[in-house]
Amino acid sequence: MGVETDVVDIILNGKAVQAQSGTTILQAAAANGVAIPTLCFHRDLSPTGACRMCVVEVARSRTLVASCHTLVTHGMVIETHSAKVLRARKVIMELMMASHPDFCLVCDKANICEMRALSAELGVGVPRFRAKKRFYQIEENPYVIRDLSKCVLCYRCVKACKEVKGANLFSMARRGFEMKVVVDDDAALDKEVCRDCGICISHCPVGALVWRPDRFRKPTDSARTSCRPLVIKG
Amino acid sequence: MPECRIVLRNCGIVDPASIESYRAHGGFQALRKAKQLTPDQVVQEVKRSGLRGRGGAGFPTGMKWELAARSPGEAHYVICNADEGEVGTFKDRYILQNDPYGLFEGIAIACHAIGARTAYLYLRAEYHHLLGQLLRALKETGDAELGCHIEVREGAGAYVCGEESALMESIEGKRGEARYRPPFPPNHGLWQEPTVINNVETLMNIVPIIQNGADWYKTIGSGPCPGTKAFSVTGDVERPGVYEVPFGTALAELVVDLAGAVNVKAVQVGGASGRVVPAAKLDTPLTFETVLGAGAVVVLDASRSMVELATQNVTFFAEESCGKCVPCREGNQILLHLLTTLQQRSGKEQDIDALRELSEVMMISCLCGLGQAAPNSVVDTLEHFGDEYYSMVRR
Repeated sequence: MGVETDVVDIILNGKAVQAQSGTTILQAAAANGVAIPTLCFHRDLSPTGACRMCVVEVARSRTLVASCHTLVTHGMVIETHSAKVLRARKVIMELMMASHPDFCLVCDKANICEMRALSAELGVGVPRFRAKKRFYQIEENPYVIRDLSKCVLCYRCVKACKEVKGANLFSMARRGFEMKVVVDDDAALDKEVCRDCGICISHCPVGALVWRPDRFRKPTDSARTSCRPLVIKG
Repeated sequence: MPECRIVLRNCGIVDPASIESYRAHGGFQALRKAKQLTPDQVVQEVKRSGLRGRGGAGFPTGMKWELAARSPGEAHYVICNADEGEVGTFKDRYILQNDPYGLFEGIAIACHAIGARTAYLYLRAEYHHLLGQLLRALKETGDAELGCHIEVREGAGAYVCGEESALMESIEGKRGEARYRPPFPPNHGLWQEPTVINNVETLMNIVPIIQNGADWYKTIGSGPCPGTKAFSVTGDVERPGVYEVPFGTALAELVVDLAGAVNVKAVQVGGASGRVVPAAKLDTPLTFETVLGAGAVVVLDASRSMVELATQNVTFFAEESCGKCVPCREGNQILLHLLTTLQQRSGKEQDIDALRELSEVMMISCLCGLGQAAPNSVVDTLEHFGDEYYSMVRR
């Protein structure tokens, strides 16, 4: 097997470059030093294609294509940051922000929130569109705090639990704007249905899934902590 | 131009409850003829006929069959898409009710051509009343006669399951939501095996093509779109119903001459996801290249508001979006919000610009055809009847 057969020639942002065949546009672009923003994609998980943030322009394609799940083919002409692509990404981010609660100041993931970083990168501030927001009761079990009001329905927790942990706890239910991540038959995540693996938490791009701050505290700790001085977080 | 019945050839002639009646009218002859040919000969005949998928996209059927036939897999599948969900279409129901045997024969020929042993007939949930009749007809025909097994699967009432990849997810017993493509169904379809998915009407064309040959078929219709198309005409017309006309027929002939429309303001061709044609362009020929979709034709007379039409359509899509991709899930919700605001006379001019920009982005970025086509009526009515929108802006 020759090396040539495993390589395809593509034109990336006007430059002729080579890419490994069988890789996605996203991977090929990264290998050539071009970063494409993503949200629902995670390197541990199979691609979903739900957020459409990673769309790129491919010559002769009627629509934009999502780079996280489209494989490179020989002679593909790709534009990753054309005006058309940037406008689409910006509008998609505005759409996502429109139904997202404006609680960033008091959100546990505020400074590590991927959505917040991405909206800053794309220059999306206060969203232009006004619409209804989702409100759900915050659910707590001994390990996880789940706030579905903040959920962006990226499928990462569903896939992380299934593909990484093999537990398959979550699934999607309802459709359209009403869609939500459910446990069992839409039961609240308030019982100990899983152990403290936390894979869904670390894969959640936003603050919808966070650790319970007291999760590792032993019963005897409560007496000790009560004597500690009160620390006000800044 | 009068009607030309190829797809509806047996409707009203053959008794749909009697296989003897179908046999007496030349039933299963095309299947016997196809069985004497090699699968590849059948595929090439269909390919040569230039038959294109009637679901709306107009993909060449022969090419789809060839891709699936040549694709390696443990099993091949044929799926007949009878999830006729598009608003205002009922041509497939008319076929299912009046000519079930003709459809089974078409499916059996497709199975022979691509080497499939099992075919699925995905029946729309709202057509549950046809299930008994179909199962009875299937039992009467028998697997031996067809050379394949046809299984009827019922949908659960989601519009998105008429989209081929969501339809396969639904047959597999999963949540009905679109898959990303590529891979396409002819390579990795149902249970990741090579699969051909054809509309009811597409499969109804197979029997005449095999019987009379591709050369005969190419003489009907217009250039790149050979054959005929069945349309369900509804709305402000005198004679609503199913009409079959050759491709290239002018829209006016269909809605005015055949269906008897008067005082036409606009026609929406292709259901809720279809394009809106203003009265001035009624001479548009009906081909895949101009306007078409799945064959729903809704006629609107001068009393209808175009903003109202767009709002109705978007309401439908906001309800029927599967929710997987952001532009469709959130976008339809915002489109609806903007349109409702306009109708309540509290919208601003920027809202119309936002409608336009959002529609354009949705059309190029959504995951499947549902989201990509959802803003069609908004874009078209904005283009042709923009004044109606601006007259609703709060001054």
